[in-house]
Amino acid sequence: MARSFRYYGKKRGNRRTGSSTLGSAGEMLFYAVFLLFGCVSAVALFYLLVIPQWRVSNEFVEHTCIVLQKRIAEEKDQDGTLYRPEFRIKYEIDGVEYFAWTYGIHKVSSSSRKNSQKILGRFTETKDPEHPIEYPCWYDPLNPEKVVLVRGGNWWMWLIAIVPVSFILIGGIGLIYRVLHWGKSAEHQAAMARHATRGDLFDTGNKAAGQFPNVPPGADITNSPGTRLAFRLPIGASPGWKLFGILLACVLWNGIVSVFVVFVAKDHLGGNPDWVLTLFLLPFVVVGIALIVCFIRQLLLTTGVGPTMVEISDHPLVPGRQYRLFVSQAGRLVMNSLCVSLVCEEKATYRQGTDTRTETKKVHDREVYRRDGFEVRRGLPFEDECELLVPEGAMHSFKSDHNEIHWKLVVAGDVAVWPNYKRDFPVVIHPAVGRTDT
Amino acid sequence: MNNPSVTIRLDDNGRVYRPGETLLGEYQLQSVMPGDVKAIEVSVLWYSEGKGDEDMAVHEFRRLSAEDGDWIDPTRPARFDTILPNSPLSYDGVIVKIRWCVRVRVFLHRGKDLVGQKAFQLGDVSAAKVS
Repeated sequence: MARSFRYYGKKRGNRRTGSSTLGSAGEMLFYAVFLLFGCVSAVALFYLLVIPQWRVSNEFVEHTCIVLQKRIAEEKDQDGTLYRPEFRIKYEIDGVEYFAWTYGIHKVSSSSRKNSQKILGRFTETKDPEHPIEYPCWYDPLNPEKVVLVRGGNWWMWLIAIVPVSFILIGGIGLIYRVLHWGKSAEHQAAMARHATRGDLFDTGNKAAGQFPNVPPGADITNSPGTRLAFRLPIGASPGWKLFGILLACVLWNGIVSVFVVFVAKDHLGGNPDWVLTLFLLPFVVVGIALIVCFIRQLLLTTGVGPTMVEISDHPLVPGRQYRLFVSQAGRLVMNSLCVSLVCEEKATYRQGTDTRTETKKVHDREVYRRDGFEVRRGLPFEDECELLVPEGAMHSFKSDHNEIHWKLVVAGDVAVWPNYKRDFPVVIHPAVGRTDT
Repeated sequence: MNNPSVTIRLDDNGRVYRPGETLLGEYQLQSVMPGDVKAIEVSVLWYSEGKGDEDMAVHEFRRLSAEDGDWIDPTRPARFDTILPNSPLSYDGVIVKIRWCVRVRVFLHRGKDLVGQKAFQLGDVSAAKVS
């Protein structure tokens, strides 16, 4: 029997079996605690830092004093010793003498003893009462025992305000969002979100998105005209960036592993081998070598295989229609084969515990062009044209928050005595029906 | 007395709808007394199924609320209509599926909400298989 009130849920992602009311109440409580903490911190900050600072600047009365003693006060904490300058001063108000250890209104310490020493150097003690060295000081008219030698605040104290302000913003925005959505159905919330998205003035893809909701606009695909056909398709991932990524991974991984390898090697050379650490390190070294091999392979591909270009007669594509394709491969290569395929992949993103995972599944892979056994000479790129038929009934390109269907043309080269390569050229397919030419 | 429920019926039930066509239909509440209903929401929406977390977007949303002065008569069928969008089309993929439906949610003064849902197909996209 279904429970009328579920207080727990265990399904994956957004599909949960628990009580949404309790969930929303929990979220509201969470944001309310954030907001409360932020407000309390802000008030405390205001009373402890801002108001005293303001009173010193605006209400304290200027007067004169003499310095009797000076010292560096030390405070020890977990991070080490902190220092602040202190001065014993004497001042007289209405015939009453006051003595105080003071400097600024806030007892601010720093880890730099040198800075405190520098401040001490600015004031000279009065040794001879006959020749007093006077300095300005400011005292509190409500409590003359409260006195300072400097006015003005430390600018960095305002940085502390970032903490309560962050809490107030996170808590406040979260709470407002939750209150606005309180008691509203998932459909009502989705309708509100859609309404909000329509009002986004800065979304350049809005026109296309309005005509074909959830179809990627593909504006970046048609912004480069071709030399033979209408558009030159941009490459999915540049080989240069791939090489950089692999190099970075290779350097980071092997850099860390090499430190341990040096330790282990020293032990072995010193006749005191640590076999447990050696065996533990072995798989990490294997991964490091694999990364080096991967890097060398990518280096050969990037430098040895010249640029691949694909041009198309029209874009976006529509199922059931035929297009012209132009393929160009530069470099100096002996090719066993060169293939162009139209590929469709489904991509699903889901949460599993605290991890976000993405799974990709190829659901369409049709070869549209193939050429076997030919040579590409330097300065004379291989060029050819072919027909591309987008299958009737094919799903259009689609993108939502967690699900995606994307189409691409894949150029695959089988090179003699050289690593094989694949280069992707994304395309956008629009729905076949209801299409309005723009 | 039967449990309260919502029935949704589409005109031309079972046919494939094309983008730009008008979806027409009606919904009726069963075993709901006049005065029991706080609000009714009628949505035409798509949602995803499959491996990924669920995505959902509402194409058409209408809310009738007794508090706002809307006339709600649960004893009589109510009609709805909408012009269907160009995308996304219904799709039966391997790890991504897109479903369209009409969903009627009834908020009662007492007890749980009533939800009725009627699926329909938008477009004629072939089902996918692992390549």
